[in-house]
Amino acid sequence: MKQIRYMLFLITFCTFLFFPGPSGARTVTDETGRSLTIPDDPRRIVSFAPSITEIIFALGRQDRLKGVSRFSDFPPEATQLPSVGSYIRLDIEKIVALKPDLCFATKDGNPKDVVTRLTAIGIPVYVVDPRNLEAVMETTLRMGDVLNAAPRADAIVHEMLSRIDRVRALIATAPSRPRVFFQIEISPIVSVGAQTFVNELIEMAGGINLAKGSAPYPRFSREQVLALAPDVLIITSMARGGRFDQVKKEWSQWPSIPAVRNHRVLMVDSNLFDRPSPRLVTALETLARSIHPELFEGEK
Amino acid sequence: MESPLLLKRLFRVSVLLLILLIAAVFFGISIGSTGSGISETLTTLFSGPEATDPMRHTIIWQVRFPRVILAILVGAALSLGGLVFQALLRNPLAEPYILGISSGSGIGAIIGILAGLPRFPGVSATAFAGSMGTLLLLFVMSSGQTLLKKDTLLLSGVMVNAFCAALITFLMSITQDSRLHNILFWLMGDLSAADLSQVGIVAIALIPCFVLLFALSNSMNLLLMGRELAQTMGLNIKAATLTLLVATSFMVSLTVSFCGPVGFVGLVMPHVLRLAFGPDHRVLVPACIFGGGAYMVLCDLLARTLPDQGEMPAGVITAMIGVPLFILLLKRSG
Repeated sequence: MKQIRYMLFLITFCTFLFFPGPSGARTVTDETGRSLTIPDDPRRIVSFAPSITEIIFALGRQDRLKGVSRFSDFPPEATQLPSVGSYIRLDIEKIVALKPDLCFATKDGNPKDVVTRLTAIGIPVYVVDPRNLEAVMETTLRMGDVLNAAPRADAIVHEMLSRIDRVRALIATAPSRPRVFFQIEISPIVSVGAQTFVNELIEMAGGINLAKGSAPYPRFSREQVLALAPDVLIITSMARGGRFDQVKKEWSQWPSIPAVRNHRVLMVDSNLFDRPSPRLVTALETLARSIHPELFEGEK
Repeated sequence: MESPLLLKRLFRVSVLLLILLIAAVFFGISIGSTGSGISETLTTLFSGPEATDPMRHTIIWQVRFPRVILAILVGAALSLGGLVFQALLRNPLAEPYILGISSGSGIGAIIGILAGLPRFPGVSATAFAGSMGTLLLLFVMSSGQTLLKKDTLLLSGVMVNAFCAALITFLMSITQDSRLHNILFWLMGDLSAADLSQVGIVAIALIPCFVLLFALSNSMNLLLMGRELAQTMGLNIKAATLTLLVATSFMVSLTVSFCGPVGFVGLVMPHVLRLAFGPDHRVLVPACIFGGGAYMVLCDLLARTLPDQGEMPAGVITAMIGVPLFILLLKRSG
């Protein structure tokens, strides 16, 4: 026992000997429970996901952002930053060459071995794991803390909360709960089930998610969609380049679907819906408008 | 047996290919996605960490170097795998993939990914189990006498392969989330996940196999002469076949489990080397180790540097180079 303790001490001692932390360093615990040592005031940040890039910009820390994952396209300035590969296929060499003092990764998406290898090289990686709208706000607060932008983070969360409350208040007055089919993929038809952001948003926006089930991204045949008879059919812009018109036309052959009959086949921006960033509130508002247009009639 | 002439040839071929390999390794660690200078690499290599930019040092030694070493090991193992199977089955089309060993490994890996295991050791272990399971199935299917008849083993392999391919497609069709990306990238063959300790494990497992195959290289020569002749020359055919099969399968499944099914290296390299250096396996085994290693390093280098929007899987390059080259060779030799 004593020997083990001695060994542990020796190992820890050696670790500190070889990897001396920067003078102003602190230890934080990320959202997966890993503890890591980060600089007091991180100056060179690399983001591994578009959602993280959005949060960093929202926090006003874009001047410290030295690299982003591919498809980080919001805000548009983000596209000017060097790319470190797509979020599923990160280029470790490019990341190392940017000399980051802190990287942000997501648990859901970024390969774990990239995090492990960067940590081994001596680059701290803070992993976030927001699973719902509330968790996005928590992530924003945590990142604000790490990046010394806590007041800004508070303001973002405050605004998000008040916008959510406004939608909630409006939805509470809605007379009905329309049945929504949310289509994220065209061929095959894929929708979103439980445990997803979209499911949560549909429910908050006063709709019933027809695809709610155990599978996160269930597949449907056209026949099943006909049988479900959705009141609102929402298609994300995942497939860009005018394909929405084609998909809408395909659905229009089936007037037995209430959504088709009542012209409630709509398109929404997929980037709003599949990125756990503060813009999810905008997604919520978009969705509420799509499901309950009558409640928003008084506005523009 | 060991004539001075053979030793001389062996030495000449090995030195030639070793120089090629060293050159490939040098380029492999000099060139990468963050630009490079060969002179910069030279200063980093020869003047120690304190004289150079620590970031460059990290990139060369901790990012590129493990990957290059893994590429050597994978290239050598796959080339040797092809060489052994071509000798065993006396069929120029044979390689471990034809026998379904890599598909079996693929099923194992996908199950591992679906179970949410980490790439190492989790997915590697399930992939290895999958390929060993396929090998076992192959033995059962073509058990006893028929094991030595080349057509039975080859046909069993084709069937096992087809079945595994269907299973892989099935597993992918029921996968819905981001794990599908992981599966796809794994299936395309990829060396990017290498870290030095994992590469060390692969090396420790593979190098004894290389030595064993070199020791058995004369048996491969005899096997190629035909069963009767081999038997009169005092070769225990069954023991030799079994040893070769198990060692090769172990080697191949280990590499596949680490970096996915990188195809066509096992098909192309033995043919190229045979054309260049003749049919003697005592020369071909070391030639496959050095030549296959160098080939894989260069293929991986192309995979890393060709596309400017991030790298692509090395398996794409090996197939794109391998297939036309193979067709060319077939045309010329035919």
